[in-house]
Amino acid sequence: MTEYVIRRLLYGLLVVFLVTVFVFLALRLIPGDVVRLQLADAPGVTEEQVDRLAAELGLNQPLFTQLGTFLADAVRGDFGQSFQDGEQVTTLIGERLPITLQLGAMAVLFGVLAGIPLGVLSAVRRNSWLDQSLRLVSVAGISIPNFWLGLLMVTYLALLFTWSPPLVYQGPTEDLSSNLVHLALPALALGTSTMASIARMLRSSLLEVLHSNFIRTVRAKGASELRVIGKHAMRNSVVPVFSILGLQVGHILGGTVILESIFGIPGMGMLIFESVQMRDYPVVLGCVVVYGAVFVLINLIVDVCYGVIDPRIRYART
Amino acid sequence: MSTLDHRPAGTGRLTSFGRGLLRFARTQPFGSIALGVIIIFVLAALFAPLIAPYDPVAQHRDAIQLPPSGEFWLGTDDLGRDVFSRVLYGARTSLLVALATLATGGVLGSVIGIFSGYFGGRWIDSVLQRVMDTLMAIPGIVLLLFVAALLGPSVRNTIIALSLLVIPSFNRVARGQMLQIREELYVTAARANGCGVLRILRTHGLPNLLAPMLVVMSLMLAIVMIAESALSFLGVGTPPPTPSWGLMLSDGSRYMEIAPWMVVFPGGMLAVAVLAFNLLGDALRDFFDPKQIR
Repeated sequence: MTEYVIRRLLYGLLVVFLVTVFVFLALRLIPGDVVRLQLADAPGVTEEQVDRLAAELGLNQPLFTQLGTFLADAVRGDFGQSFQDGEQVTTLIGERLPITLQLGAMAVLFGVLAGIPLGVLSAVRRNSWLDQSLRLVSVAGISIPNFWLGLLMVTYLALLFTWSPPLVYQGPTEDLSSNLVHLALPALALGTSTMASIARMLRSSLLEVLHSNFIRTVRAKGASELRVIGKHAMRNSVVPVFSILGLQVGHILGGTVILESIFGIPGMGMLIFESVQMRDYPVVLGCVVVYGAVFVLINLIVDVCYGVIDPRIRYART
Repeated sequence: MSTLDHRPAGTGRLTSFGRGLLRFARTQPFGSIALGVIIIFVLAALFAPLIAPYDPVAQHRDAIQLPPSGEFWLGTDDLGRDVFSRVLYGARTSLLVALATLATGGVLGSVIGIFSGYFGGRWIDSVLQRVMDTLMAIPGIVLLLFVAALLGPSVRNTIIALSLLVIPSFNRVARGQMLQIREELYVTAARANGCGVLRILRTHGLPNLLAPMLVVMSLMLAIVMIAESALSFLGVGTPPPTPSWGLMLSDGSRYMEIAPWMVVFPGGMLAVAVLAFNLLGDALRDFFDPKQIR
């Protein structure tokens, strides 16, 4: 097990490293350099000033020296300073990442809590009208764009309940109820596709397990249906559900970007979105790397859990 | 994966296609409805100039934010533009971007996958797959935003960004399929018979790739359409005034309470189109691989 975790961890580190290199090179190789883009708005910039800023940012050095410097700094958690306000990129991300993680966690929680009962219901009542409509709901849940859902929710739920989300974001330590209420709707919009995917996957894997011989044996010895499903079948069908969670990580992380901007939540998504508009490259770069790292880390955790649940996976070559 | 084929020798390719279509319609009712919706959607996009009652960018100054009526079927937006015409032209943009993405990213991803799976020795294969893992480690929207930040918002750059998004998926499917085919006895036999690589790929590789490729294409079209709208919604995709569903949603989001039709219709169209492609993809998968219970 330890060997498996270490192997996955090393591979994760390699991927994060490659993401960093990719992002850095992409930024340097585009036509038009960063300095000119940054100074483009300022009137009356002389060549001298351009050169000085370039030297300041280390842009006059060879590409690989720059890459080395960047990587060395990045390892120490230093992604440079924001072009906007000179704030450390690491500080900015550190402030906002927890908010995004909380939103993502709430979305996953909703997806799991709602998806599992729906999937079980669908499998147990196979081919009934309930199953058919639940299946249609799941496909619809996967297809509805989460930002459209968010927009509809923010308007119609507000009209329906004469309630609207708080205008100013408050952290969980400032005002926990306001914080949870604020994040509830975007988490719901974000978690809908997770819920639908889990319900679909659980239905098909449960059906497969319910047809296997050992379930027939369990039934034959007179176990109640609740026990058959809850104890024996569920345990064997939960592994594919875990793989869905792994697949959903990227979807949820990406989804936070757009939902944060709709609901005015100052998380990582809002940060990268604003920085893209301002062409604040150090922040964009740091955000992409951190997003990649979070993605890799969560997938690593999912993989390790996967290995714990199903020991066969540990021994397979990765 | 591969379907056993019992048709008698000499049956033309066209009739076998027709027969396959009939069998699809019989066994996959949801998929067939989805296919019908997609055909209507493609026709609407294709003939948008003929169907649309108004110019999609024409501003009717005396008809600002009118609710749906006989004159403006789906109402008008904040600049007095006809929502129905814009939704039709938006379908055009959406489909065009999606198809262009498949033509670039899909083809590139498949070629990398075929190459990596069939030829790739230890080195080439691992290097290419590490590149794919790198692309996949960046969440979709973040990757799109990054490319948009680098290249600036335009239709062409949106297609480049979306291509990067779909390359790993096509690569994975094509590579997996090739790795499997490479070990088949009939391929070994063909190689022993002295068939060239290109001939093996054409006679054994491509036919085996067709089914999984159709499935992944359908599912990817759904993803690309959502991503394109999301990007335009954030204002870094299709630049205005080109009609695009994402742009319409972002315009409408400011007037949700007073003019909900500005958001409900483009978003609804997007949801229906994505639903249709997802259903079709699922149906194709079941159709080609009936063993798998879904």
